[in-house]
Formats: sequence, structure tokens, C-alpha cells
Amino acid sequence: MYVKAEPTTDVNRNTEWFTYPGVWTIYMLIVFMSWLVVLSIFGCSPGMAWTIVHFCHFAVTYHFFHWKKGTPFADDQGIYNGLTWWEQIENGKQLTRNRKFLTVVPVVLYLIASHTTDYQNPMLFFNTLAVFVLVVAKFPNMHKVRIFGINADH
Amino acid sequence: MIKIPYLTALSTYFSYGLLFAFGQFRDFFRKIFDWCHSSNLQGYAPICLGLEDFYIRRLYLRIQDCFGRPISSSPDAWFDVVERYSNDNNKTLKRTTKVTRCLNLGSYNYLGFAAADEYCTPRVIETLKRFSPSTCSPRVDGGTTTLHNELEECVANFVGKPAALVFGMGYATNSAILPVLIGKGGLIISDSLNHNSIVNGARGSGATVRVFQHNTPSHLEEVLRQQIAEGQPRTHRPWKKIIVIVEGIYSMEGELCKLPEIVAICKKYKAYAYLDEAHSIGAVGKTGRGVCELLGVDTADVDIMMGTFTKSFGSCGGYIAGSKELIQYLKYTCPAHLYATSISPPAAQQIISSIKVILGEDGSSRGAQKLARIRENSNFFRSELQKMGFEVLGDNDSPVMPIMLYNPAKIPAFSRECLKQNVAVVTVAFPATPLLLARARICISASHTREDLLKALEVISQVGDLVGIKYFPAESEKQHQEPGAIKLE
Repeated sequence: MYVKAEPTTDVNRNTEWFTYPGVWTIYMLIVFMSWLVVLSIFGCSPGMAWTIVHFCHFAVTYHFFHWKKGTPFADDQGIYNGLTWWEQIENGKQLTRNRKFLTVVPVVLYLIASHTTDYQNPMLFFNTLAVFVLVVAKFPNMHKVRIFGINADH
Repeated sequence: MIKIPYLTALSTYFSYGLLFAFGQFRDFFRKIFDWCHSSNLQGYAPICLGLEDFYIRRLYLRIQDCFGRPISSSPDAWFDVVERYSNDNNKTLKRTTKVTRCLNLGSYNYLGFAAADEYCTPRVIETLKRFSPSTCSPRVDGGTTTLHNELEECVANFVGKPAALVFGMGYATNSAILPVLIGKGGLIISDSLNHNSIVNGARGSGATVRVFQHNTPSHLEEVLRQQIAEGQPRTHRPWKKIIVIVEGIYSMEGELCKLPEIVAICKKYKAYAYLDEAHSIGAVGKTGRGVCELLGVDTADVDIMMGTFTKSFGSCGGYIAGSKELIQYLKYTCPAHLYATSISPPAAQQIISSIKVILGEDGSSRGAQKLARIRENSNFFRSELQKMGFEVLGDNDSPVMPIMLYNPAKIPAFSRECLKQNVAVVTVAFPATPLLLARARICISASHTREDLLKALEVISQVGDLVGIKYFPAESEKQHQEPGAIKLE
């Protein structure tokens, strides 16, 4: 019923909330609830709903984890302005548990989406593209890499 | 250690996610609408990048009326809060001329010196007439009056160090002293929950900064050992100097620092210890000399002691106390001493008089009474709140007690409902605290009478039921079985 909220040593207020208990659960719950909401609004087949959820998840997580840089408040005087949220978590340490979890979630969503649409072609191609982009963006070798200068600092 | 109910954690994440999503939608539509209108920047760069003020615009401004409430009297136990109204959904607030008399649970008025005092105020007025409100000069030029010298001796005696140096502003003390004490090639190890002034001073110094887990001496030792073994970042040369910075009472947690263990570790590894006693000087300890007296640490073991006069002494300014050589060095190098205007003479006299009252040198026992009263008040209030089922942080004897709220919607609810019943509380949220752990911070004062505290308890209990923050079962007799330090684990 109760969990301990231990303070972390991460000084970056933008990312330290991810180390507290309950984050993984709420992430999975939000994804599941949005599937239910999409099913109820569009009235489509479950597979189509999972594909829609997968795309929206791709769009939202790519935008907030790998595109937006900096922090939403000015307290830290802009020292993280060149880093995306993914590069800021846990001070840039790679292959931590949180990073592994966040890499696995899009893959699991992809598997569910492709399975429930029976691997039919137009959906499958886009799903695969989405998961490929997301997983490659999370590789340790891509830390602070800006391909062709896209999204680099001014 | 904060225990949060699991469902509350989940709902807090969800609420913040929802607020964040709404903010992003509104920003998106605002960008589309503004595309049509030309910008009036005329070629200049915008002051903030789009993302930097997102939190202020979309989250803070929604509940702006809970922060920054203007008051129109001295911050005594009861004070006048000016009413404000807003016509555009809290984007701008306008003051009215009406005031409400409210119970003050937010000011750092630990010993009750914030209002007129029978010993201090006449002396302050006399000093105001003699020396005028400002010295109009830095210490080095013409701003050192006899009052400043007397104040520095007084502070050094009070704190228990050979010499002291006094500055006009507490925040500036930390942020101006740290760059002078340490520079590139040095190492600062600071507690993860240190105040913003220390963080800014550490960043401004150019030294490498490492953080250890809050109040965990074993982790401090681990970090020290690792850093000493590795040396400076790329060259791996030994560090020029290592300073460990901790606070006496952490203002957001109300916890006391584990000073004996930390000082022992500093001595073992030959690191300097810097103690920021902003909230503990004058408020804890048998004679009010701070956390060293309370925990039995010899002041000679703490190398640099810093504090402010805003909390227990009812004045403004900060001090640094240390060895004579250190203070002499700081007098030649610290920019806050060389270039900043010296502390205002009436403020200095207030500090001298209040120290005399605390030590009993004014001929009465009011100082000892105040210290006893604040201890009694804090312990009573904390135990009553815990009995009602609130989650209250902080150690026994600490006059700061945060009540956990968690959900972002409960912050304005608690604040506004309390204000309706004439109790003024301060609520703190992200980014001053971690995202999950929003809280209402109560500061108890020696000038709160028992009736004031009972009224506050009644109001907080009612509002707590309404808002739903009694996360623990209300116990009547169970939790009082273990006496002594009832730290909420």
C-alpha cells in the first residue's frame, strides 16, 4: 500500500521524477487506458486500435524524449539546453534499468500491434518504421548524436 | 523517509501528465494563432526559448493566487493578508484595499522577533535615528560602523568561533563566498537537497560538484573515497581542496543534519566541512546556538559556519564564522564584502539586541522562555498532526514541519481553503521539491500561543478532511508508545 520515496542524487529536476516508484506502472496503465479510449471513440477493430495507440505513442515519445531539448523551467540556468530528455536522464548514464524499460515498451507495443492486425501490410510497414526509429534513438551510441545536424543547437 | 500510498503516487503522475498535456495543447494552438500575427521583435532574439517558461506559464500561473500573497503588517503570529482578485483566470492579479487578519503559519519567525519587541525595537529606532537606514557604502569604503564591528564580535561569540564576517543578504552570502573559497581544481560535495544559494555558489565557483544522497553519511563516504581515488576529471591529479556542504535544518524536510557522523567522515578524509545554519541558528539547541549545540558537535570541528539572520533574529543578512585567518582572507577577497553595500545599521542593531535577549544579557529570562516555547510548540503541533493522520516530515524539536500533499490539485485546494478560514500557509511544489512530493510547509513560532495552535489544528484538520490528505490512519494512542525521536519512516 505504501512505498518509500527515497530522494535521489539527481539534481536535474526535469528527470529525477522518473526514479520514484510508480512510474512504470502509470506508463503502462496510460497506454492501456488510451487503447480502451481509442476503441470506444473510433469503434474500430482491436488491432486497428493498437496500431493507432502505437503511432500516437511513437509521435508523443519521440517528440518529448528525443526532439524537445532543455527543461521546462529556468531554474537550472540552461545547462541542459543542448540535451534532449533521453540524454538527460540519470545524468547521461547509459543502460540503466529505466532506460532498458523505456526501450522495451515500444518493442512490446509493436509486437502487440502487429500481432493483432495479423501482420497485414500497410500497417506493418509503418509500425516497423516507427519502432525502428524509436529503438535506434535510444541506443547508447546515439548519445548526443545529431544526424545531418537535425535538431542541433543554434 | 517519506512513505507515499501507491495509488496516490499513480494519481499524482497522472495529474501532472494531464496538466502537462493540456499545457502542450494550449501552447500548440497559441503557436498556430500567433503565426497569423507578426511578431513585434524587430529582429531581436526572444528573451526566453519556447520551452523554458513552460512550467511558469502553464502550471504555476494557474494557481498563482496561492503564492506571493502580499501582507500589510509585520509577520507576527497574526498578520494582515491583502486580498487579490483576477479577471483573466489568474494570469494577472490585482490587489484590493481589503485585508484579512490571518494566523501566520508561513513566516520564519522562530523566536517571535519579527514583530515589535520590547527590548529590540526601541534600540533599533534609536540606531535608525543615529546611523540612518543605509550606510551607502561597501564595508571597505565607508560602510564599516562601530555597529558592524560590534555585530561581528557578537555573532562570533554566539556561534562559538574566533571570528565572523557579516553580509547584507543571506542568499548572497552563500553565492559570493563559495567562489572565493574554492575554484577550478577543487571539489565540492553537497547534499542533494541543499538550498538554491549553495547550488548557485557551487556552480559559480568553477569547482567540480558532486552530490551525495540526502543525509546519508555512508553515501558521503562512498562518494569521497571514489572522488579522492579518481582525482580531477581528466588529468586525475589530486584535488586542490575538498569542501563538504550540509545544512543544519533542511527547510523543505524539517530534518536535522546527521552532523556528528558527517564531521567525523570529513575529519577522516581531510575535507573541509561547511555548515549552513540558516534555519537552525537561534531556533534549536539549549541556548539557541544551533545544531552543533543540539547534537553535541564541537564548533572547532566544523571549519566554516554560515547562517542567516532572517529566521530567528527577525532581521536580514547573513554571516560566515570561522578561524581568524579565514575571516581575514575573506575580508580581502570576498566580493560581497568589497563591493556590496554593508548591512543596514538598524538591521544590525536588531540582530545585536535579539542575540542579547536570547542569551539573557538584557537582564530577563525572555530568551530562555522563547527557546523553551518554540520547542514545546513544535513538538505539540507535530504530534497532534501525526495523531490526526497527516504525513508530517521532520525530526522532533525542529520548528519546520511540512505536511505532504502530493497531488497537484490539492496544493491550491489546501491553500485556498485554509485562507478562507483565516489561516495562511505556504505551499511548495515542483520544481522546488521533487515532482511527486508537493507539501504545505508550516513554520512554528515562539509567539504562537496555545490557542493559536489549537485553532490552526482545527482548521487544518477540517481542510485536511475536505481535501483528502490524511494519508495515515488517525491514531489516538498507538504511535505514542515509543518516546523520543518519532521520525516518520
